[in-house]
Amino acid sequence: MIAMTNPEMNKLVEVLLEGDHAAALAEARRLRAMGIEPERIVTEGLEAAMQRLDDKCTVESFNLLEIMLVGRAVSAVVNELYPEGVPPERGRDTFVIATLEGDVHDLGKNIAKMVLIGKGYRVVDLGKDCPVETLVNAAEREHAHAVLVSGLITPVIPQVRKVRPALAERGLGGIRVVAGGAALKQSSAEALNVDYVAETAFDGALYLDQLVRGAA
Amino acid sequence: MNSLERIKAAISFAPADRTPAVPQLFGHAAALAGVALKDYLRDGGLLARCQIEARERYGHDIVFAFMDLCVETEAAGSILQYRENQYPDVASYVLAPDSDVSALAVPDPATAGRMPELLRAAGILRSELGDTVLVAGCVAGPMTLATQLLGIEAALYLAADDPARFERILDFSAAVAIRYGIAQIEAGAHLPIVFDPAASPAVVPPQFFRELLLPRLQRVFSAFRQAGALANWLNIAGPTGTILPYYPEAGVDIANFDYYVEPQRARELLPDTCLDGNMKSLIFVEASPDEVAAAASRLVSEFAGRGGFLLSSGCEIPPEAKPENIAAMLAACRGA
Repeated sequence: MIAMTNPEMNKLVEVLLEGDHAAALAEARRLRAMGIEPERIVTEGLEAAMQRLDDKCTVESFNLLEIMLVGRAVSAVVNELYPEGVPPERGRDTFVIATLEGDVHDLGKNIAKMVLIGKGYRVVDLGKDCPVETLVNAAEREHAHAVLVSGLITPVIPQVRKVRPALAERGLGGIRVVAGGAALKQSSAEALNVDYVAETAFDGALYLDQLVRGAA
Repeated sequence: MNSLERIKAAISFAPADRTPAVPQLFGHAAALAGVALKDYLRDGGLLARCQIEARERYGHDIVFAFMDLCVETEAAGSILQYRENQYPDVASYVLAPDSDVSALAVPDPATAGRMPELLRAAGILRSELGDTVLVAGCVAGPMTLATQLLGIEAALYLAADDPARFERILDFSAAVAIRYGIAQIEAGAHLPIVFDPAASPAVVPPQFFRELLLPRLQRVFSAFRQAGALANWLNIAGPTGTILPYYPEAGVDIANFDYYVEPQRARELLPDTCLDGNMKSLIFVEASPDEVAAAASRLVSEFAGRGGFLLSSGCEIPPEAKPENIAAMLAACRGA
């Protein structure tokens, strides 16, 4: 699917996809100076760029370098538009994301976060080595639509399996749990006791898009 | 036919009594012996003993003088954080993006960090096993060491923002790999495997591999061959289908492939190169012995007519893997 791009946003989308964060920042400032609202820059600029990247990133051509450069450019624009952080009322939905206790590798989590922010979601990042209880507390406090867990190493799997029961115990059984990362994606949703296992950050974002639309 | 002869036969596509089995058993050897990983990773004598015991138990065809992919960066000056039963990670990187890499000295394997312990392990393994079993040393490939010197995010941003500076770091990393790998050969390893997970197309695009990494890998493998390595072995996990065709140009004799790449595709991409792979690591933790045996048998059958194959996992078999699953892999290999 090719997303339609508003002509005013062409340049922004182009430099975002090139991963040129300085040019993206300059272009966002130019658009703001023209009186274009931050909301529109996000929905018609950032989200359009993320859609293009999503279309391009099959499993075979998904690489961290390209994603990180686009992610850095997107973050620079978001920080410019919302210096105090994305307000809860602006974000379409909130997701809580963490690398769970026992795993200190957070690159996969950071990539997923960048993709979701680029799509206009509000993402609460709990960092790495995060206890399940902290994740559940944040999901409740932030009214999260889903919680996302990333894992590079297999010993973290028992922690992942605890998330859904811990949410249910708090009366939050309706919150979906999505897993991703090199170790977790070799497993299945059933084995991990989660709702979905994402092959890539974009695959996970697509599931979340459907969830938000009520289609998942 | 002993294990080393079996592997040599596979490398040269000659007939063998069975498919060689080279499961990537590193920290699992410690778990099997009831030894804390943090001790195994810092004591060459202990590492060698655990590797020999694991090999006696399973009967596979290789032992690994391998600690983790942080040995080189620690030797160069990074500070690691060790945990009881996990691999260490870098708490403080020796390089910042604006650092001058020329201020760093290539570590001396005889004295720097854990390198001397690793050399001791290689020496013990070779003196105990002689030329019956392949003794594999291991080095971090240039891209992986660059990411371990800077942190992966800083390294990737630097590669985009200041390619010339990043290339100097890659050159330093290649020099570290060459010096450390040759020291392993001199200590007794038949060959050093080059592990370069950060060179995977999951991390950098194929063009980056071809333009920046291939020339450094050529340099590393050429040096190993001159130093007497039995063969050149490159291990990059993940979806490597787009870079496998460059391996012969890099001087690779044995190419690891992960579960992302179908065996048939790997065969087509590298018709004249010995392959090793590609069982999923996680099945050794989660599946039953029957499922592991079936997966192993499928691969052995797939390559039966071709040769040039070492049965392995595509990536490390996790330390907490079930021993009965590794035994099932070996049994399938023996046709039991």
